[in-house]
Amino acid sequence: MNLILKISLRNLFRQKRRNVLLGIAIAFGVMILVIANSFANGITDVLLNKLVARIAGHVSIAFSEKSNFNSPIFRDKEKIFSVIKNNNEGVREVEENVGVFGRAIGNGKADTIIIVGIDLSKELSAETRKEIEESFRMIEGTFQDLSRKDVENPTIVSEEKAKYLKVKKGDIIRVRYTNLFGNDQAARLTIVGILKNDNVFMQGVIFAELGNLKKLMGFRPYEIGNISITMNDAPKNAVKLANKIHSQLKPDIAVIYGQLKYNGKIINVSTLGFKTDDESKKVLEKKIKVINGEIDKVSSKKNVLINKTLFDALGIKPGESFEIVYKNKFEDKETIVKYNLTAVFADDEMTDKNIVFLSEDKFYETYYDNLPEDPKKIKDAFYPKANSSLTDILATEWILLKRTSTTDELTKKYKDMGKGKWKATIVDVQTMYESASDVLKLEKALNLITISAVLVLFFIILIGVVNTLRMTIRERTREIGTIRAIGMQKNDVRNTFILETFFLTLFASFIGIASAFVVMRLLSTVTFNVTDNPMSILLVNSHLYFFPTFLGISSNVLFILIIAVVTAYFPARRAANLSPATALRHYE
Amino acid sequence: MLKRFSFLILILLSTRSFAEGIDVNLILKKVENNLEITSDIKANVILTQQKIEQGVKVLEMIYYRRDSDDSFLIVMSNPEAEKGNGYLRMGDNLWMYRRNTRTFQHINRDESIGGSDAKADDFEKRKLTETYEFAKDEKGKEIISEDKLGQIPVYKLEIKAKVNDVDYPKKIYWIRRDNFLPLKEESYSLSNTLMQTAYYLKYTIVDNRYVPVNQMFIDEFEKGNKTVVEISNISTKKIDNSIFTKAYLENLSK
Repeated sequence: MNLILKISLRNLFRQKRRNVLLGIAIAFGVMILVIANSFANGITDVLLNKLVARIAGHVSIAFSEKSNFNSPIFRDKEKIFSVIKNNNEGVREVEENVGVFGRAIGNGKADTIIIVGIDLSKELSAETRKEIEESFRMIEGTFQDLSRKDVENPTIVSEEKAKYLKVKKGDIIRVRYTNLFGNDQAARLTIVGILKNDNVFMQGVIFAELGNLKKLMGFRPYEIGNISITMNDAPKNAVKLANKIHSQLKPDIAVIYGQLKYNGKIINVSTLGFKTDDESKKVLEKKIKVINGEIDKVSSKKNVLINKTLFDALGIKPGESFEIVYKNKFEDKETIVKYNLTAVFADDEMTDKNIVFLSEDKFYETYYDNLPEDPKKIKDAFYPKANSSLTDILATEWILLKRTSTTDELTKKYKDMGKGKWKATIVDVQTMYESASDVLKLEKALNLITISAVLVLFFIILIGVVNTLRMTIRERTREIGTIRAIGMQKNDVRNTFILETFFLTLFASFIGIASAFVVMRLLSTVTFNVTDNPMSILLVNSHLYFFPTFLGISSNVLFILIIAVVTAYFPARRAANLSPATALRHYE
Repeated sequence: MLKRFSFLILILLSTRSFAEGIDVNLILKKVENNLEITSDIKANVILTQQKIEQGVKVLEMIYYRRDSDDSFLIVMSNPEAEKGNGYLRMGDNLWMYRRNTRTFQHINRDESIGGSDAKADDFEKRKLTETYEFAKDEKGKEIISEDKLGQIPVYKLEIKAKVNDVDYPKKIYWIRRDNFLPLKEESYSLSNTLMQTAYYLKYTIVDNRYVPVNQMFIDEFEKGNKTVVEISNISTKKIDNSIFTKAYLENLSK
């Protein structure tokens, strides 16, 4: 084998000019392939990791209260964080994603903006810090200025937005936005910094300190907005983490445990909500029997029902009102709600506890605004037994949407969700591989286009390879006859030619890769001033971005080597099959 | 003793009676009763929206409302691009219908109507007294005074939201003293910024109730923007059930 290798290598250097020319052609093809592949990877990296992942994280937990996507709020921050804390393997950053659209007025000019919160209290990883510094380059001020207390609502705007609004550092812009509850709200923001960002879609973003923005939006300290999680080795870990978090976010039945006050009597009660969707209504009508009170339907959202046990203890009549006082989980306060009793019901499962039964509309009105203490910690609170038919009709702490694995499934899920009106907070756990799978498809499409174009190029180059090989074989026909005559086997002759092509392609590929890196380096130094062009999202720091990967390059080289070897195989076999006598007789 | 008596008088004055012996808490009720229409309504509505950088946009629509089951339907009739589009509310559900795609999409109450500043919840019935109450000053006294708007004697009063989901948490009304009709309304944000001033320019009487047929909303935040609402052809005849259906909207665009 060593001999064949030696012969192949020696032959490669025998016709230097021809092989150098052919090598240049192959190297050029490899260079184009590597550049194109790295550019496609770069686009995906920018879109996925520098844009989608930065905005929504590799894994995101999204909330929506009362079917309102303008209310991305979850009322119990510590509950969500405890679930994330239990599943922190591979997690790089956990961020609260709070932003709001608004209208900003500068000096005589107005424009649409998005105010985004930045959490300055958190220690960022070096990788994240680098990504942020690359994407948002401060021209004036620093991100730390957002925590300044000496100015009203410090904010950082992009250079383009500042120019449009005719404002500069130290100026005040007035913004109008809608807070979490749909209130039209106004605020004065002081510009403490100006930054440069190449992404045209990010130029409308203005930054505020997270805590400050949350306050402006109406969040209380224990409430939280959407969460984004960035991870190490996201392709491997993201889906696993999302599934884990999803399984641990299964909601319990929502219960308000408090004291009912009526006519001087004080009785401990569990207040439950019943769902009012069509399916639940059917079950409810069958299950719950009204024994006192004139109501058309048990499932009417106006209803306030109590069970017979409570009715017997209170001596209340339908139409009369009562109060429920319950302790809140946060803020160390009590909430008082007043209801008018509409009817009394009897149910076998709900006999041993005092129960107030409300439509979910009424129930959630107070439940979310004044979150009650965790009823699981209260022994006397009512909980339906496992496998009880009640569990399907009782209001839950939130509604957890099922996991999806593709964009199509995700779209369908949201479409189905849009058909109904949900009273509870909707919680959705997703990864960017389903929400942004179109970006991955884009990468595949770009790679396919690149490979198709390069294949055409290689087809032309490989015609050259075949031609060169045929010429070489023709020139060396008598030599083939000689070495066959002195004992070299057919296979060895064939392998000599194949190895010669193999080495030519391999060396040319190395040169092509090296040239690709040089060209990419040169192209990366060219500055493109296209800030008002949507294509600017493909640039990093106004420069083209290439992202070569070892796997990408090695698979490209392997692909080219296979093509070259297969192409060389047939002329080499023909050469090997020549009889030594015929070959020796060959004369030109 | 005199001091205590004076204090008692002050309390009584502040809570019970105001000018002409009117209970302050009744003023909102009277305003509400004046404007409350209990029957079904059908009317033509023209929204003329003027924006500094976008010019004038005119939206015409037919508006149907039935409060007995919290339903309303808006069918856009002009401009051409919006014609046939609609907004249907039935109970808790609010859909936007797009003629071109013939699809219904669930929307929220704060969604814009036809890309204008008008929101879907501007077209639904919500009682003033259910959502607002009198605002009180530091002494716990309702903020109300007698005033004049031009030559017209009015009550100037301040109300604050009782619930979360209203557009403005604070409003100041100028209400005619003779017939309790609002003439002017200022809306403030949570940070106490004046956001909008509304002028009720003309009323008409329908079924012994007043309907503001010409209103002007001035954007105080972005100066130069304003919206004029004109209501005409008001009918209070019972509206057929078939109107408040998805099929009705779909059939219109056939």
